[in-house]
Amino acid sequence: MDSSSDRSLVVWLAVTVLVAICVVFAKNLGPLVIYPDALVLPVTDPMNTAMRWFVVTFGWFFKAISWLLDWPILLAKSLLHAVPWAAWFVLWIYLALRAGGRGLAIFTAISLMYMVTFGFWSQSMNSFALVVVSIPMAVALGFALGTWGFLSDRAYRIIMPILDLMQTVPAFAYLLPILLLFGFGTTVGLVASILFAFPPMVRNTIVGLRGVPDEVIESGLMSGATPSQLFWRVRVPTAQRQILLGVNQTTMASLSMVIIASIIGGTNDIGWEVLSTMRKAQFGESLLAGIVIALMAMVLDRITWGFAVQSSPTKRGAAGWIICAVLFGAAWLLALLFPPFKDWPEAWVLNPAPAMNAGLEWIFVEFRTVLEAIKRAALFYLMLPIKIGLSQAVSPFTWGFAMTPAVTTGYSLIVAAVAAYFSFKGKLLPALWVILFALVLYSGLTGLAWVALSAVIVALAWQAGGKNLALWALAGVAFLLLTGIWEPSVISLYLCGVGVLLSFIFGSAIGTWASENDTVSRMVRPVIDTLQTMPLFVILIPFVMVFKIGEFTALLAIIVYAIVPAIRYTEHGLRNLPHDVIEAATAIGTTPRQLLWQVKLPLAVPSIMLGLNQTIMFGISMLVITALVGTDDLGQQIYIGLGDGDFGVGMTAGIGMAIIAMIADRITQGFSQQIQARLGVKLNESL
Amino acid sequence: MTFSKTLKPALLASATILLGQGTALADPIKIAVNEWTGQHISAHFAGALFEQLGHEVEYVTAGAVPQLAAIAEGSLHYQPELWTNNVGDIYPKAVEAGDIIVVGGLGLEPQEGWIYPPYMAELCPGLPAYEALYDCAQAFAAADTFPDGRLITYPADWGTRSADLVDLIDLPFKPVPGGSEGAMLAELKSAVAAEQPILMMMWQPHWVFAETDVNWVEWDTPHGTCDEASQKRGEACGFQQATVDKIVAKDFATSYPDAMKMVELMNLTNDVQNVLILEVDQNGREVKEVVAEWMGANEDVWQPWVAAAKQ
Repeated sequence: MDSSSDRSLVVWLAVTVLVAICVVFAKNLGPLVIYPDALVLPVTDPMNTAMRWFVVTFGWFFKAISWLLDWPILLAKSLLHAVPWAAWFVLWIYLALRAGGRGLAIFTAISLMYMVTFGFWSQSMNSFALVVVSIPMAVALGFALGTWGFLSDRAYRIIMPILDLMQTVPAFAYLLPILLLFGFGTTVGLVASILFAFPPMVRNTIVGLRGVPDEVIESGLMSGATPSQLFWRVRVPTAQRQILLGVNQTTMASLSMVIIASIIGGTNDIGWEVLSTMRKAQFGESLLAGIVIALMAMVLDRITWGFAVQSSPTKRGAAGWIICAVLFGAAWLLALLFPPFKDWPEAWVLNPAPAMNAGLEWIFVEFRTVLEAIKRAALFYLMLPIKIGLSQAVSPFTWGFAMTPAVTTGYSLIVAAVAAYFSFKGKLLPALWVILFALVLYSGLTGLAWVALSAVIVALAWQAGGKNLALWALAGVAFLLLTGIWEPSVISLYLCGVGVLLSFIFGSAIGTWASENDTVSRMVRPVIDTLQTMPLFVILIPFVMVFKIGEFTALLAIIVYAIVPAIRYTEHGLRNLPHDVIEAATAIGTTPRQLLWQVKLPLAVPSIMLGLNQTIMFGISMLVITALVGTDDLGQQIYIGLGDGDFGVGMTAGIGMAIIAMIADRITQGFSQQIQARLGVKLNESL
Repeated sequence: MTFSKTLKPALLASATILLGQGTALADPIKIAVNEWTGQHISAHFAGALFEQLGHEVEYVTAGAVPQLAAIAEGSLHYQPELWTNNVGDIYPKAVEAGDIIVVGGLGLEPQEGWIYPPYMAELCPGLPAYEALYDCAQAFAAADTFPDGRLITYPADWGTRSADLVDLIDLPFKPVPGGSEGAMLAELKSAVAAEQPILMMMWQPHWVFAETDVNWVEWDTPHGTCDEASQKRGEACGFQQATVDKIVAKDFATSYPDAMKMVELMNLTNDVQNVLILEVDQNGREVKEVVAEWMGANEDVWQPWVAAAKQ
């Protein structure tokens, strides 16, 4: 046995002993179990004071920006509304045709018809005005910052952590400061949207520019290019695909902010429609409005993606554009003669919402007992044990028996036996982990002393990424403790932990199935696309109606969203394996089952681990949404900060979520690299 | 939407910002519009009254917290129906700082308390008296609260009044924060549709009572003023009732003296609002049309206000 695993053994032994002491003597350790309030630093007040000073001193500057940003939005809105929908229709379908051919054109036509016939056109255009203005600005900002980060290493080191923070701090947390600085109205939504949408552009620009092969640069230099020519004529065109991918992701991020922009208000847009109907608990109505945002996102995604992957964008030349312009004019003319082509009459609007509501009601009335049984099983046998531990979750009402000393002894004996089996086989570390896991499960995450839980987190970080990561984790844990948000953080950890675990299990199973079966794949694709682009508020109402307010509903909401990357990356990983390996394996006569388990899955591990990583990120970002169904995690703290106009409270909670996300990210990446090193596979960075 | 109509106010607003002034006189009056029908009616009623005085009016959608920030800085002028029960500390802070002026109550008489559907009276015969809840907590229990009853309270960011009351009077109920208004209503709708037990903190006037029949839990002393912090079993008064305020921006009175006078006079009662809400939500008519129709039939109510404001 080498020295590094010896050290692991010592570290984990120490942690296990510490946790064991904390579990056994939980009642006698006082401040070591529950973090004392006296040791919480009063950070929120100074934060508020600083913010107030900042607003008073520099407020005029931000108000001026806000005033400037008003103009492009006004212009976009006027333009989008002045042109009849029929004319826009022609233009969009032509764009879709060029970007992705007939299929995409048909999809675009259906999407636009949906907006028109369901009576959402004018609101959609209000939302679209915001998106249309925010995308170019975010792209320009992102490209500029990305170029700077590419040119200067120091800038790179400053930019990257800020990007990490901006993408992990939930948008709700910076809603209040944006409001204070920029005032009120559509502009604020625009600022929020730009702030959220530019980071992917920066990342892709840097990756793209860095990835330009040296030979290309050399040949550019040899033909005597000036530095600026070298940049604009050589580097940027070579990196075009990656940069356009950034544009595509910026587009998606900007659309996902439509709802947040509506929370601030200022325009009667589609996000406002979703929020209003959700507030009235109108399931059908809110779903219909939510689908509009999903459709917009999918159309824009496919079109920008289509242009991004096209090698020579000017294939069909001017003739197509001329035909398009003629048809555009004709449609406009038609709208002047025949008004429904401009303003769809109220009487023609389709409204299936009442039927949808009735359908949902039928489900939760008819299947009440089944649904209730599912919820109970999940609560009693999975969620409560992890949250409050077996010591409290096991009761005659839940499990049918009480956690008597005899039962506890039996539990300890089983654990001891499993641990003994592992150590007998020479696997001492797994044996320790079994004991540790059993201890944590016995006391539950919320019952575990803060000292013990912190030790486990830091040890995990050490195992995954060495001393540096352990120090980072320690600093993060210290932040959560010192700012007094430890308890909601633990609840967040529990909800996300269970959510991610289930998402990953089910998601990778579905992904594997979809990779083996084309029909399944075709059915899964539109569903996960919709889940990813639809405003998640919409999902909450039916879940609450079926499963009631509480943590189970919150868990389902997390799973529905976080399962998407798990499915996507697993399928992608399994479908994009080197052909020669698969052929070689088939040639030596492996059965399909062997091929999957012994060849494909190990090879796809890098991609699957990336999916796990994204699943964690998605799960954490859902915490703000789940607070709307009554959980008391960090998301709830953000709402409390917002409702009280307390910048400090909201921001510490937001940073707390970012810290949890980043530590979880680094830990999974660390383990992923270790597994990859052991299996000898590497990620091809096509994702 | 024409260019001139949208650009003019923006131009004016920009001019005033450049000059460092507050609000220009020719600006339209901006009225906050929230997410529920009752408020839409109040807002459009106010708007129609301002139009009688010859002002231009603009309706601006705004969320609960952002609208306060907007009124405090003057980019929104008037909110006729502000519920003081579901805004956090940001509201009293802004009022105290003088950024928001409270003009008085709208005239709506809100009631807050715990509601239950009528079929629960069969399972818990002592209702509506709160004393009955001590014995039939299990009738209200759910898997995650058993053996205690389940009480859905306001979302955590609206305060903890129900939870405090449960503690004070030692009721065997577990308070579960509702998370959001939408979630609370979804829960109520589904419980009533499936005839399942539910006990929930709620307020009225609210549109949901037009379609759902509920009863209110009664306390020892009938509702009105109530010192919430000093209650105990046998001497419970429930909740201090919320108020519904008319609030304006701080320089509203100087910019629009006649409109300010109108704000002071304007009044809307539960009965009127409930009738109009029903017309909009059940019969699917436009808010504007319904308000105009009511105003046409009740000129004697608001004509004197217009006359007084014009003086």
